[in-house]
Amino acid sequence: MKLPRLLLPLFGLLAATTVTAAPAYDFYICANINRNYVIGSKIVTTNGIFQRTDEGGWRHFGYNDTSITAVAFDPRDRNVIYTTALNGLWRSLDGGATWRICNSWDMTEGREVAVDPNAPDHVYVAFTDGIAVSTDRAQTLVRRENGLPERGKFTQTIKVDRTRAGRVLAGCEVGIFLTEDGAANWRRVHVTTDTVNDLQQSPHDPKIWVAATQSAGALISRDGGITWDRFAGVPTERALYNVTFDVTNPDRLAIGSWAHGVLATEDGGKTWTSRNAGLPENPRVWRVGVDPAGRLYASVFQETLFHSDDFGRTWHPNDLAGSLVNYFFTLPKAAN
Amino acid sequence: MKKLITPFLLLAALVSAQPSFTGPMPAPPADLRPDTLRRAYQARVDETLDWYLHAIDPAGPLTREQALVKLVRGQDAAAVSRRILELLAEPQSGDMFWMFPWTAIAFTGRDQLSPEARAAIRDAWRTYFPMRGDTENHWVMYYASLFLMTELYPDDPGETWFNGKSSEENHAEAKGFLLHWMDLATTIGQGEFNPTHYIGEYAIPMLYLAAWAEDPAMRQRGRMMLDLLMAELADNSLHGVLRGPNARTDDTSVLERWNALATYFSWTMYGHTPPPSGYGGWGIYFAIAAHHYEPPPLFHLIATDREFDREQHDHKRSRRRWRYSDVEMMPVYKTGYIRRDYAVGSYQGGVTDPIQAHVWDVTWHEDDPRGVHNTMFSVHPHASARVLQMYFTEYPDWMIDLLASQGKPSYGVPDKILGCSPYEQVFQDLDTVIALYAIAPGENFQRVNGFFSRNLRDVTEDASGWIFARGGNTYLAYRPLAPYTWDELLGYRQLPRGNSGYVWERFRPEGPVDRILVSPHANNGTIVQAASADEFESFESFQAAMRALPLEFTLEPRPAVKFTTLRGKKVAFTYGEAPVVNGQAVDYARWKLFEGPHLNAELGSRKITISHGRQHRVLDFNTVTISDYVTP
Repeated sequence: MKLPRLLLPLFGLLAATTVTAAPAYDFYICANINRNYVIGSKIVTTNGIFQRTDEGGWRHFGYNDTSITAVAFDPRDRNVIYTTALNGLWRSLDGGATWRICNSWDMTEGREVAVDPNAPDHVYVAFTDGIAVSTDRAQTLVRRENGLPERGKFTQTIKVDRTRAGRVLAGCEVGIFLTEDGAANWRRVHVTTDTVNDLQQSPHDPKIWVAATQSAGALISRDGGITWDRFAGVPTERALYNVTFDVTNPDRLAIGSWAHGVLATEDGGKTWTSRNAGLPENPRVWRVGVDPAGRLYASVFQETLFHSDDFGRTWHPNDLAGSLVNYFFTLPKAAN
Repeated sequence: MKKLITPFLLLAALVSAQPSFTGPMPAPPADLRPDTLRRAYQARVDETLDWYLHAIDPAGPLTREQALVKLVRGQDAAAVSRRILELLAEPQSGDMFWMFPWTAIAFTGRDQLSPEARAAIRDAWRTYFPMRGDTENHWVMYYASLFLMTELYPDDPGETWFNGKSSEENHAEAKGFLLHWMDLATTIGQGEFNPTHYIGEYAIPMLYLAAWAEDPAMRQRGRMMLDLLMAELADNSLHGVLRGPNARTDDTSVLERWNALATYFSWTMYGHTPPPSGYGGWGIYFAIAAHHYEPPPLFHLIATDREFDREQHDHKRSRRRWRYSDVEMMPVYKTGYIRRDYAVGSYQGGVTDPIQAHVWDVTWHEDDPRGVHNTMFSVHPHASARVLQMYFTEYPDWMIDLLASQGKPSYGVPDKILGCSPYEQVFQDLDTVIALYAIAPGENFQRVNGFFSRNLRDVTEDASGWIFARGGNTYLAYRPLAPYTWDELLGYRQLPRGNSGYVWERFRPEGPVDRILVSPHANNGTIVQAASADEFESFESFQAAMRALPLEFTLEPRPAVKFTTLRGKKVAFTYGEAPVVNGQAVDYARWKLFEGPHLNAELGSRKITISHGRQHRVLDFNTVTISDYVTP
């Protein structure tokens, strides 16, 4: 059933949301439940987008693909769904019933997709060799890389600033890049020697951005992504995979890392502590996420998905044994 | 068989007889008339098909491959149709490895299968979502299949295909990639060059294009690429055994050089070596359409004529690098030298493919190569998450463990003998190889591993520093440039799967085992010189000749060698510098796409001339033509 509607920009709404017994949001993950799978394997597994049900379980929908890295929705119409995967960028116009690969052979291995909430026809895609943009809901996709280096434009993450159309930050191999004109021009705002793995805009203050990197630790920007400082309490010697805000508490952030497990702060990043008690030994955390009720999730590599209602002090197995969560995504709940 | 047969081979022989696999070594064909060659080629193809038919359990269901062979033979179309409906009613898997088998069934069965079976096959291309993969061979399989299926169903709308694109859109996209790939291969060289197994992933799609493409240009291009693959196989094989270097191989084939899917193609095409067990697994998918192709007599001559020594230089390229590299694809300068008794091959070193590359070796001829580890080489056992990240999109921490769990157990072990290294530089002149190593501080494994086969004879550690050995009718001299010790090379045995993929244990194989020369020094080097036993009165005289060769070397501050080879060449090679031969620096910038007695092409030309004596075939991808001519 197609339910076109105007949805407010996600985090703006979430910041104003009060936690209720019946949460007014939908919670999605991109996950693989695929122990033992290799490319070309004859093992049949279930992978892709899962939506949390009201009963707390997970409902798979869309195509079955072990390589989905991210999902995004058109804020006007939740039936318009985008995913990035090994084949590139996929789009569904009917809530996941049918799909189309939007790129040709010359783009591959999509890493992340983002829809501009202020220009929802505009879709930004991070690829292994650069950035592509669509201005027509991914019907056509063109590279827009002016200002990116010839080498070093491996792009792991891309996020749209919700305050202004066409303002986008990209995490690349050699740093963080910013465009303010819809990717017509990019400029590097922060230099790194290794890949920037994740970027997030604060749901509480849109000028605050954080980044997780492979070898530069975790970074924070307080001026909309123009200048960046390192969080002093976060180690730099091993890769950080992603970072997440807690939409219910502006002082809370969590970082997911293979080497460090879950790192959390509850004072806005002044101090960070390890929050691995209750997770498997050497937790090998692949991804952390916080739902709009403030529940913290940790995907432990091919173990299961854990959740914590006290921001990592205690953990409980959630579901999805043998899973690997690549992405967490929250969307205002559709009206009936 | 004259040589030892591994227990596995014996077991395979008992389970189901494969005439050529278990039989005596075949003699190279003496009668090279086209009709004779054609009959022999078809007989080998028929043997493969028959083996699958004979393996059918009358009480059990047909496998997908058996169903396909029945279609090829025009048997039991109704039963095959019913079986196809059963197969497609199950959940599908295999991604691009799913695509080409079902393409083969669709085309082979298009005039035989029931309408229901054909409809089920067609609908599977709507409901099953195959991944395109992340390597060149994946893409060739994916797009060749898509090209053909969208020709079979040319007017279908997007909603009838898994990717939402219409037949016309898919066809154009597939054509675009295939032309791009062929263009790369014929201008700057193939990426996954001389693969011991992945040759099937290229040859089968090209055969299918040659067999079934409606577009005459693509049909011709498929045939031309297949010609190129098979001519290269002929040129790079020693009596049917593909030797190094290889863009990709595996832990078995790098030692037992015969035991590879490439050998299936050598056998099918030229009949001068036995096929591997089960016809290499994927071999059946070539056999089912092999009647659409036959190698010209010219290729037989290249494959079988070892009466004169020959040196070949080729230009290839690395796998595509996504990050942490100044270049997208590294140029590969490949050297091959083949004589009757042995072959020597190499490229210049560096990382061409992060996992399964094999940089150099001497491979000697065995009268029966089955079960024989007929090779010698050395490697730096490099393992690096950062280098893996150059080629893959993954995070760094788990990649090394992941490779073992995905069936590549040796990547992160110190005694591995498979793989390339950024700290290895190699130069080859005819049958001399100099490999230099300058392993960076902090690298996991500060050592060089030299491979010494269990099948070597008379291994002698000489006071001069040379290690002498015999393999087949070949004399070998191996000179480690730094102190060393010996280890046995343990095998890899798969254990029951755990929660994270394959699990392995190391074990000592029964009987004689291979050894590794372990040289635990960061600045290091290996010199290997091969010669035919026929060149010397005795093994001792070979040793004396080697001892007499001028050799100077140093390891600090960088490894450097000055060596006069057995062929009288004065070679100077310093790590980080161009090799110098008889005072002349080697200029890789002048390397052609192919240069040698059998394959020749200019870089960027898209035009390859394949020759033997006065016979020539020209593959001109500019005009999409094949021309044969004989020079006076």
